Amino acid sequence: MASRLVQGQEGETGGRLADPSISYPIIPAGEQTVWADVSPLIASACNDLQDGQLIHGENFSLFAAMSALEIMDPKMDAGVEKCGYYSIEEAIENNVAPVPLSLNPTLDVQRVIDVIDHLFSCEATWYKGHTLAQTVFSCIYLLRIERTSSHALLHSYCRIMRATCNAVISVVSDSRTHEEEDLFTMAYGLPLKGEGDEKCLSILNSVEETISRQLRACKAQSLKKKQLEDIEPLQSNPDLEEGYCRALLCRLRFRKHYYLVLTSMKKPQGKGLELARKHVASCLSELTHITKSQEFLRALSYGFHQDDIQSSTTASGCRPIGFDASLNNRFSAPTPPRATHILSWKEAVSYFQKLLSDLDFVCSLNTDLVLDDVFCFIVQFQKPQPDLVARAHLQLIINLLKILCANTAWQRRKLGKILQDWSVLSLQLEIAFKREIGETLNVMVDENMSTKVSKHLLRWTEERTYWIASRFLTLGFELELYSPYDYCMVYWFMYLVFMKLLEKIQLQSAANNENSQRKGKKKKDHGKDQIRDASFSSSTLLIHCYICLSEGLAMILAALRNESKAFHMVGPFNGEEERFIQHFDLLLKAHVPEHATYYLFKESTGHARISSIIKDNCFREAQKIITSLRGSYAGNSDKLIELQQLEQVAERNRVALSVIDQIGARDPSLTVSFEFTHHPHFAIAVIKRS
Amino acid sequence: MEEAESFSNPSFLQDVSTRASERSGSDESPAVAQLRKLLFRRILIGASDGRFFLGTFHCIDKQGNIILQDAVEYRHTRRSGDPSPMEQRCLGLILIPASCRTSCHAECSIDEQISLLSINK
Repeated sequence: MASRLVQGQEGETGGRLADPSISYPIIPAGEQTVWADVSPLIASACNDLQDGQLIHGENFSLFAAMSALEIMDPKMDAGVEKCGYYSIEEAIENNVAPVPLSLNPTLDVQRVIDVIDHLFSCEATWYKGHTLAQTVFSCIYLLRIERTSSHALLHSYCRIMRATCNAVISVVSDSRTHEEEDLFTMAYGLPLKGEGDEKCLSILNSVEETISRQLRACKAQSLKKKQLEDIEPLQSNPDLEEGYCRALLCRLRFRKHYYLVLTSMKKPQGKGLELARKHVASCLSELTHITKSQEFLRALSYGFHQDDIQSSTTASGCRPIGFDASLNNRFSAPTPPRATHILSWKEAVSYFQKLLSDLDFVCSLNTDLVLDDVFCFIVQFQKPQPDLVARAHLQLIINLLKILCANTAWQRRKLGKILQDWSVLSLQLEIAFKREIGETLNVMVDENMSTKVSKHLLRWTEERTYWIASRFLTLGFELELYSPYDYCMVYWFMYLVFMKLLEKIQLQSAANNENSQRKGKKKKDHGKDQIRDASFSSSTLLIHCYICLSEGLAMILAALRNESKAFHMVGPFNGEEERFIQHFDLLLKAHVPEHATYYLFKESTGHARISSIIKDNCFREAQKIITSLRGSYAGNSDKLIELQQLEQVAERNRVALSVIDQIGARDPSLTVSFEFTHHPHFAIAVIKRS
Repeated sequence: MEEAESFSNPSFLQDVSTRASERSGSDESPAVAQLRKLLFRRILIGASDGRFFLGTFHCIDKQGNIILQDAVEYRHTRRSGDPSPMEQRCLGLILIPASCRTSCHAECSIDEQISLLSINK
């Protein structure tokens, strides 16, 4: 290695080398200081140290030192120089991302389509939970967009990709949706902000227009029609012109419509939702065209290796040029990113189909609704477990219900936490209300407006609080937080909560009736009231049904425990009371409901026997309610499906109960398990005989 | 500094982190004392893959593993070594195993450098 003097960077003074035999980088020492080689000193000092002895200062802590990043450890050191390019510039210098992608126009078009397809797969991978740097921005063309300006098609596509990424990131970060890891919005070091991105749509439109004209021209030529204009074809092989034009057009149009979905949904007060739905429909239709183009593209491999159709990230099967995920390793935190597996192109297409249908569901929200319907809407929305992007859009629209939009694990935790706030709110309203009543007691007038409003608010808040409690409890089933030993107490608690909820709803509806009678409402208002009354009565009936099922299940479980010691956990750790307190801690603290103690639980369930449960007939009662509800829910398919599920639960449990009664709960050959085969919250007793 | 010398306990049972304070003073070798003086100084360490790490000297052990505080990583942007512009990245607290350390330089005044050179001899 040649000896050299250290040269300072522009304007900075550098120190001189102490040992000229080491080739040296341009890292300046300070003024009046030099870099002195201390390796021999270290060697002799270390030799003199005792085993286990350290040289350190007073601020040293072994515990803190354990968090040091170990260099050259692939799990901790993102910068380990592997084979591959050291920087984006080096990759570009080595022609990894050429512009144009090929001097042969046909190959150039093919390669652009491969880049578009791979970006599509990367985008879906990003949405699923990886970093932007490892997915979409592994594309060198996106990392250096200015380089593509000579290639209209590539440039316009890159611009709209960048604008789309920005739009999605801002929706997700604005909504502050909670996820397990916040990898989605991590974008530092990436060139996301670009000038003139508002124009990206018009740039894309002009490219689309050109290709449309090229398509028309080649169709006219094939029909031997006279061409109106002399237009340069897209690529050089006339037989492939139509196929390539179509393949590109559907991809460009998909991009355009998707971007318009995002911008429409962002409009305040839900003004753009209907328009967004139209764009979603267009996206889905373009996706079918994109899928159809695969056959054409796959047939043209130009001798290049083609990946298997299920695993390839492009429609043609060829690997795209211009991508290198390792270049961005350093952009995600000091620690290396986890291995990212890019979804296959087919998987990406299905992912976007599902995403678009979830977004469509969000857009179908009727903004002119009653709050109860909104709650139902959200619960329904969560059923197909929509992904992050779709959920973030919903939160923008309904801010107040933020908590209910979080993923179920966070949601349950937040619901539990806010129970206290809601019950305090109820308490405050009650106090305020009582104070008002006290004030007006002396005045011999009808209840004034504010008293009525306070009463209404109070009842509404109490009802909401119990609704939150019931959702908190039922989510536990979905998240599999309860063991079979806990089902009895959970159903018992649900029974109490539903009872209270029913009480509050009935109070509310009674007050409404009183109000309308008092006001002597006009005929035309009656219609609206009737509908509201009908929905009140069907929701009360449904809750009544839940009450019967909860009661029935709690009692079966209690009876089995009492008579045959089944579902009676004897562990070395928690006793039943401790588990009770752990499960319902947040509810107990919030007094939702009042006096729901472990003692009361034992009292209520201690004497349960199969024979007595049969007499009580909870499941048969549930079935009667379900039958009467079928009429009221005639048009509502979601509700009808649930009724069907509840019917199954009631019937099977009723049968199971009589079977247990016949065999006898104490029979050792009898094993009863509880499965959630029909309804996610209400289990069915399954009997096995050995 | 208080010296809690206890001859009755075998050395490997003593708390490792207090041993440094025990040993400071007359029974420390001149090399160790000199190295101790370099604590909190800026150190530039070269790694076997061509990167450099600049940070304050925080700790070293008998094997020669070094911990740097507030470390910055310098790397070439081209595979074909010099000359090439360098990139830097802040890493914080890092540990450089002795096995991947190829060079080690400390920032010091010219006078100190002379005295360092004399020690090395």
